Amino acid sequence: MSGPLEGLKVVDLSALAGAYGTRLMASMGADVLKVEPPQGNPMRQLAPFADGAPENEASLWWAYLAMGTRSAVVDPRTDEGAEQLRTLLLEADVVVDDQGPDELDELGLGYAAIARENPGVIWISITPFGRSGPKRDWKLTNLGAWAASGVLYTVGFEDQPPVAPGGPAQLALHGTALNGAISALLALRVRRQTGRGQLVDLAISEAALMVSPETGTTVFLDDRVHRVRSGNRRTLSRPFGLYPCSDGYISILILMPRHWESLANWMHEAMGNEAATDPVFGDMVVRGETMELIDGWTEELCGSMTCLEFFQEAQRRGIPVTPVSTIEALLTDPHLEAVGFWEQTELPAGGEVAIPGPAFRSNMDWWSTARAPRLGEHSTPLGWHTA
Amino acid sequence: MTDDVAAEEAANDDLQALTGVKVFELGIAIASPFVGRNLAAHGAEVYKIESPTSPDIVRLIGSAWLRDNEELAPVMPDSSPYVSEMNADKKSVALDLKQPSGLAAARQLLAECDVFVANVTARALVDLGLDFEAVRAINPTVVYVQLPGFGSDPESPYYPFVAWGPNQAPLVGLDDLTGHADREPAGVATIAPPDYYAALHATYLVLAGLEQRDKTGEGVHVDISQFEATIALLGPFASEFSLTGNGQSRIGNRSLWYAPEGVYPCQGHERWIAISCEDDEQWQSLAAFAAKGWATDARFDTNEHRMTNVEALDAAVAEWTADFANEDLAHRLQARGIAAHIVATNEDLIGDSQVRERGNYLVRPNSRFKRELFTANMHRLTETPPINVRGGPSTGEHTVEVLTEVAGMSEAEVQALIADDVAFTMDAPELQVERPSEQWLHILFPSEAEDTRDLA
Repeated sequence: MSGPLEGLKVVDLSALAGAYGTRLMASMGADVLKVEPPQGNPMRQLAPFADGAPENEASLWWAYLAMGTRSAVVDPRTDEGAEQLRTLLLEADVVVDDQGPDELDELGLGYAAIARENPGVIWISITPFGRSGPKRDWKLTNLGAWAASGVLYTVGFEDQPPVAPGGPAQLALHGTALNGAISALLALRVRRQTGRGQLVDLAISEAALMVSPETGTTVFLDDRVHRVRSGNRRTLSRPFGLYPCSDGYISILILMPRHWESLANWMHEAMGNEAATDPVFGDMVVRGETMELIDGWTEELCGSMTCLEFFQEAQRRGIPVTPVSTIEALLTDPHLEAVGFWEQTELPAGGEVAIPGPAFRSNMDWWSTARAPRLGEHSTPLGWHTA
Repeated sequence: MTDDVAAEEAANDDLQALTGVKVFELGIAIASPFVGRNLAAHGAEVYKIESPTSPDIVRLIGSAWLRDNEELAPVMPDSSPYVSEMNADKKSVALDLKQPSGLAAARQLLAECDVFVANVTARALVDLGLDFEAVRAINPTVVYVQLPGFGSDPESPYYPFVAWGPNQAPLVGLDDLTGHADREPAGVATIAPPDYYAALHATYLVLAGLEQRDKTGEGVHVDISQFEATIALLGPFASEFSLTGNGQSRIGNRSLWYAPEGVYPCQGHERWIAISCEDDEQWQSLAAFAAKGWATDARFDTNEHRMTNVEALDAAVAEWTADFANEDLAHRLQARGIAAHIVATNEDLIGDSQVRERGNYLVRPNSRFKRELFTANMHRLTETPPINVRGGPSTGEHTVEVLTEVAGMSEAEVQALIADDVAFTMDAPELQVERPSEQWLHILFPSEAEDTRDLA
């Protein structure tokens, strides 16, 4: 494998909070060695599964997120295993570790012990709340991360409990993993100048907090307006959110004056609504203050056509409108099909499966669909691809 | 210690990952500005190219507390907290790129930069002559990263379409995944994950591009479709659909893997707690603590049974949590090894001990407001930590400085552009005001001196 990270030795001890990042690094040439306990990385137990595959090789999470990596089984609770892990850590350029803040330290295999002998090591420590502070030993899931960030409180309908964005997609953990990869490359640049690695203290809670300025904590101190969940429309202005067409939902987002102007002209043409074209509604704040009126006009317009009709006509008029896609709709989306987005990878135990194509295009060869490894597939000889 | 060693150590003290890297950023709203913000915190010089003739959306949002205040009208474009959230530590260079001389100045600056990042439409970049090939012609080793909504292939069906973060989320499937199973999609409405996740991909790819360039001397082009980058986070569901025809949809706060997981009511109005029992051990611990007979209830004795009987389980847990204050219960559950956290409001976050201890919010000066409050960078490299020096810039605040010192233009050339309304400087720099948040900062920073004005 080639790429800008060729020759980089990565020991990956992490599960969902690190995997998406090391998978990206692997596709750029890094030798990512998943060091797994005898029972396997926890991701191997995550449903949904491929029918008929052996227990440890069936998870579609593993099949996707471990692509391009290698697997060695090492049990650090045994003397032999601890020595094997120690050797790998001493040779590593990057370690991605999502154990508790003290877990590896207790085995003498934490950052401090390893860095004494391997001062170049870049150690990405991923913990729920970071390695300091009163919650350093707390547990946290994807749901908990959204709860702690302030985002969860603002998502959902008023008459039901708040609900996590993206639900089962585990976005907070994937975001953490992306930040792990970012931090590793930042630290590599430093190492090239100083010769020294360092500890990176990544918190899952902070990976959720960093994407949540829109829920307004910093705004709140200015305006003292209590943020509440507002269903599937946003209070900032209107139309802004989900609106019903005759056969499903579409999303409309209008902030820019030219977008409103275009929609207002459409309302005028289609519904004879002249009031909508009054310049006073060009101000997004005014539209927020008159949201019932604006929503009523909008619903009248979109209720008269299907999602697809509304989507295409709105886009023809340059208005930011999109359909609310299901997973099935994505797999059959005409744009994704036309650009050849969907690809295939091999499952660890054999058979092909659809996966998203590259998250980016490049003039560089930075992408690979090499399959995820079977448990312990690369245990012997234990070591590095490039050694 | 010799003077040389001392000097070198002092220099190393200031060294950050991106010291010396210059970034040309043509960004609006979040996706591209958030990239520059991440890079700036690690030492890059980031030039935000903008224009009062076609303002960034964060300049249009403004602030409610300034509405109808004509005297302070020039402050309005600087007043949205998003200005700093998305642009802290950057320099603003204001140029009208639609004028040939403005574009020429931008190209002169671009020739001196390492990185180009933009989320304006691919078509707009072509029209400006700032597409990858054009930029590479003036800067052969540029790391060029663009992140339009739908990529930059003019042949693709959605290429001309417009979509911003909040309506990218529905398109990429996130809204369908958000909400309770028995209701219409709740939508992600309040945040825009595709903007941020595209930005995180882009940040990573800028860094990978710099690695590539430093190794091979090549110019690098990265084209991120926000649409595709976010779907990349849904891989397992796509695989599942291809194998079984089952399309994962919304399941409230429940887990695909274990139960209970959910958001449950507590004492008080709109007070909630999120609880997850990821394994039997955590469940047994919860059952023992609650002492409601759950430990011996056959409906709940294995994870499989708990998932089958999840409606009854959630109802039982919700009834039990309702007697607790949420913060108190979160502490009690964590003490018993159970993942739990209050569903934090803004007030909760401002008073949160962990947020304070970790310094997740910062105040820094900028030229318009005495102090700006914004979220700290979270890439905590312990030896070369992120540094946030100042809040977001005012439009054109650094136009003269950057065009003369970096782009190599003469003072007279820059002044001529300003006289022609092609380049712009900060509007009404004498207007400096305090934000309303000023009077509340003592809540966020209680351990500091009583006079919070000394904080910056």
